[in-house]
Amino acid sequence: MKDGKDKTEVKEIDCIEAINGLYAYLDGEMKDPQTLAQFEHHLEHCHTCYSRTQLETALGQLIRKSGEEGQTPVKLQGRLRKLIDEF
Amino acid sequence: MTDTEAKAWFSCGIEASMNSLYGLAIRLTRNDADAEDLVADSVIKAWSAFATLEDRNRFRPWVFRILHNCYISDYRKKSIRPIEYGYDDLSVEENGDDITCYLIEQSDDFLKWWGNPEREFANKLLRADILSAIEMLPEVFRIAVLLVNVEGLSYDEAAEVLGVPPGTIRSRMKRGRTFLQKALWEHAIEAGIITGDHMKGSKP
Repeated sequence: MKDGKDKTEVKEIDCIEAINGLYAYLDGEMKDPQTLAQFEHHLEHCHTCYSRTQLETALGQLIRKSGEEGQTPVKLQGRLRKLIDEF
Repeated sequence: MTDTEAKAWFSCGIEASMNSLYGLAIRLTRNDADAEDLVADSVIKAWSAFATLEDRNRFRPWVFRILHNCYISDYRKKSIRPIEYGYDDLSVEENGDDITCYLIEQSDDFLKWWGNPEREFANKLLRADILSAIEMLPEVFRIAVLLVNVEGLSYDEAAEVLGVPPGTIRSRMKRGRTFLQKALWEHAIEAGIITGDHMKGSKP
């Protein structure tokens, strides 16, 4: 550990701060390492926020999956390829 | 890069983005024929403007932006609008702090319902349930959720597509997700997915 510091020295945040950062965390937008450490430290100690994060993660996966199953119709694929050929 | 190389590169980019472009188009227009025309028109416009694309690593947000602009200018007026969800208790103003308060103040029953049987709940939701809830979102939130959550764009990229600051995307994602939860909660009650102690007449 750098300078002998460990995770126990991470600043405590409350549920309001955690929920404020929840979506940034889920969307990979929590880029500051210190903020990320504080958020994850809070999850380790707060069942409610951990549980909500679990649910939001599951819901996010469902939403992503619901969009992934769409396939471009064959007719449109052919139309686009023909268009590009003619450019 | 020669014209032939540019065309080959563009063709590969469209092939790789085709499903995403169609997926976005169908959720914006809600009509197969219009979605196909929208994608085709966007590809024509994208090729016309291809020389202006400075960073080819940003091809996806760039072409999404062209499709979105094309939708706004040529297709939006005739798209079929479903009855959108009732948002009487949530302002459409983009204030992220309101949402934080809202999330904190949700009832204990709601939190138990979300927090406890989340895996079971997730398993019971069908793709149609999710798509229906997304379709009922007001357009600004629907597009943000589609770009970030479905297409995996960063907030910066989604902001580039929609021509808004990244902070606006952050706010719309919070609000869009909250609306989705509310829609799914009510759907789950109507469909009998939530029963017994989890109901107790409470709503998020």
